[in-house]
Amino acid sequence: MTALAAAPRRATHPNTPRLSFAHLLKSEAIKILTLRSTWWSLGVTAALSVGISLLIALATSGMGGGMEPTNVILAPTQFTMLVAGILGAIVVTGEYSTGMIRSTLTAEPRRGAVLLAKALVVAVTMMVTTVIIYAVAIAATAPLLGGTGIDWATPADSIVPLALGMLSMACFTLMGVGFGFVLRSGAGAIAVTVGVLFVLPIMLSLFSIAGPDWMWVVEAGKYLPVSAAGSLTRAGATDLVEPALTMAGWVIGPLLLGWIALRWRDA
Amino acid sequence: MIVADNLTKRYGDKTAVDGVSFTVAPGRVTGFLGPNGAGKSTTMRMIVGLDRPTAGRVTVGGQDYRHLRSPLTEVGVLLDAKAIHTGRSARNHLRAMAATHGIGNARVDEVIELTGIRSVAGKRAGGFSLGMGQRLGIAAALLGDPHTLILDEPVNGLDPEGVRWVRQFVRHLAGEGRTVLLSSHLMSEMSQTADHVIVLGRGRVLADAALPDLVRTWTTTTLLVRSPRLGELVTALEIPDATVSAVEPGAAQITGITAETVGDIAAARGIPLYELSPRVGSLEDAYLALTDDSVEYKTKEIA
Repeated sequence: MTALAAAPRRATHPNTPRLSFAHLLKSEAIKILTLRSTWWSLGVTAALSVGISLLIALATSGMGGGMEPTNVILAPTQFTMLVAGILGAIVVTGEYSTGMIRSTLTAEPRRGAVLLAKALVVAVTMMVTTVIIYAVAIAATAPLLGGTGIDWATPADSIVPLALGMLSMACFTLMGVGFGFVLRSGAGAIAVTVGVLFVLPIMLSLFSIAGPDWMWVVEAGKYLPVSAAGSLTRAGATDLVEPALTMAGWVIGPLLLGWIALRWRDA
Repeated sequence: MIVADNLTKRYGDKTAVDGVSFTVAPGRVTGFLGPNGAGKSTTMRMIVGLDRPTAGRVTVGGQDYRHLRSPLTEVGVLLDAKAIHTGRSARNHLRAMAATHGIGNARVDEVIELTGIRSVAGKRAGGFSLGMGQRLGIAAALLGDPHTLILDEPVNGLDPEGVRWVRQFVRHLAGEGRTVLLSSHLMSEMSQTADHVIVLGRGRVLADAALPDLVRTWTTTTLLVRSPRLGELVTALEIPDATVSAVEPGAAQITGITAETVGDIAAARGIPLYELSPRVGSLEDAYLALTDDSVEYKTKEIA
C-alpha cells in the first residue's frame, strides 16, 4: 500500500456526498448490472422467449394460422416467468449468501428504502428486457405469420396485452424479490417461487379428477399468479380488474412479508 | 464519538452482550479486545445498526446509526472482509457502495490506490485472498472519508507490510481527530496501535483504560538484578512483600520493590550492581490475567 503522505482528502469532490433515494437507485442499478447471473438470467429469458415464439409461429403458419398473434409473443411467458422469478430471488439471496447485505445495510440503514430501491431496479430491468424481447419476437415472427400479424389498430388485441405481459413479467420478478427477503436462502426462495408459479397450478388442477366436491380447489387456482397473468394478457379480455388485483396481491404480499423480515430481523 | 449505554444482546437464552457501557473518544485509537465469543463483533454490529439491541442503546456522533443521513461519511465500517458479493469485481463493488452517497469514481480510484489493490481491482472479489479481501473491505470503509472508523480484525490475513500500513494509517486518522475503534487478536499489534483499550469477556466490560494504565494494573513489574554479592544484597533489602527468585548464580528476579529502592540500598552498602533492569509486563500478560475466567473456549495447558 502507498505511503501515508499519499492519503488524499476529499478535495477532488466538490459535492458533499449524501445519501438519497436517487443515489440508492443508481447503486442498485450498478449492482444488478455488474453480476453475471443477471445477464445469464436475462439471456436465458430472451432465448427462451424468442425461440418459443418462433416455434409457435412456424407451427401455426403451417396450419394456416388460428392463434391470436399476440399470443404467439406472449405464450413463452409460461416458461420465462420462472426465470424472472428466480432472477428476483437470487438478486436478494445472493446478497445474503455472500454477506454483501451487511455492506448494503450499513450504507443505507433505512431498510425499507433498500427493499424499495432493489424492487424498482429489478422490475425496471425486467420490463426493459421484456420490451426488447417482444420487439425482437414480433420482428422475427412477422414474416412467418404474414398477413395474420398483430392488428395494431385494435389496442385490446395488440398493445394492451403486450403491455400487461410486460407488467406480469415484472410482477413475477418482484414475487421472487419478496420471497428472497423472507427466506434469505437461494435454494429456499427459488423453491417457493417455482412452487407458486409452476407446481401449485398443476397440483390444484389435479383436483378436477376428484369430483365436484373438490371443484372449489380447482376454482381457487384462478387466483394463482399464472392464471391471473393469463387472464390479463388474453387478447380482447374485458374483465381486467380481478386478475389485476390478484396479481397485485401476489406482488404486495411477498414484498410486505419481505419488508417485515428485513425490518425486524438482524442482518 | 461512540457511546454505548447498557447495551445488551440476547439470542434466546444466550446473552452475547450483557449491559455494556463505554465511550470511544475521538482523537485516539481505541482497541477492542476479548476472547472469541466475548461479544466484540456483536457489539460492533449493533453500533452500525445491523443487529438490534435487546436493551440499551448505542450512538455514533450522538445519533442512532439508523438515523444517520450520510452514514458513509460519518462511519467507515469493516465488519468482516466477506461482506462483499463474490461475483462482482472490486471496482464495481466500490462503485456501487460509493453511488449510494453520490461519491464519484475519482474517490473510488483514490481508495483503490490507497489500499494497494489496483492490480486486482478488475477481478471478481470471490477469487481474492484473505489479505486482498481485507484491503478491499478497508477501501470500502474509507470511501466516504469518515469521521469514525470501526474495523473488526482489520489486520487479519494481511502481510507484514499491510499490518504496518493499517497501524500507521489508523494512527494517522486518530491524529487528525477522528474516532477509531478496532478489534484484533494480535496483542503485540494492538499494543503498538492502540492508545486506549476496552476488554470484553463473556459479554461484559472487564477493563476500559489507557493502554499503559491497563498493563501497569494487570501485570507486575519484575526487576532483574545481577550482582557478585547478590546474597548480601537480598538480605539487605529486608522487604516483606518482595519476592525473590534466583535465575542463575549471581542473578535474581525480584518483584514488589522498585528499582530506585534496590539501587539506593546497594549504593548505601557499597554492593556493586552489574545489572538492574525493570521488566514491564506486556499487554498480552495483562490481557491473559484479565480474561482468565472469562474465556469461553479454553484450551488445555500443555504440561
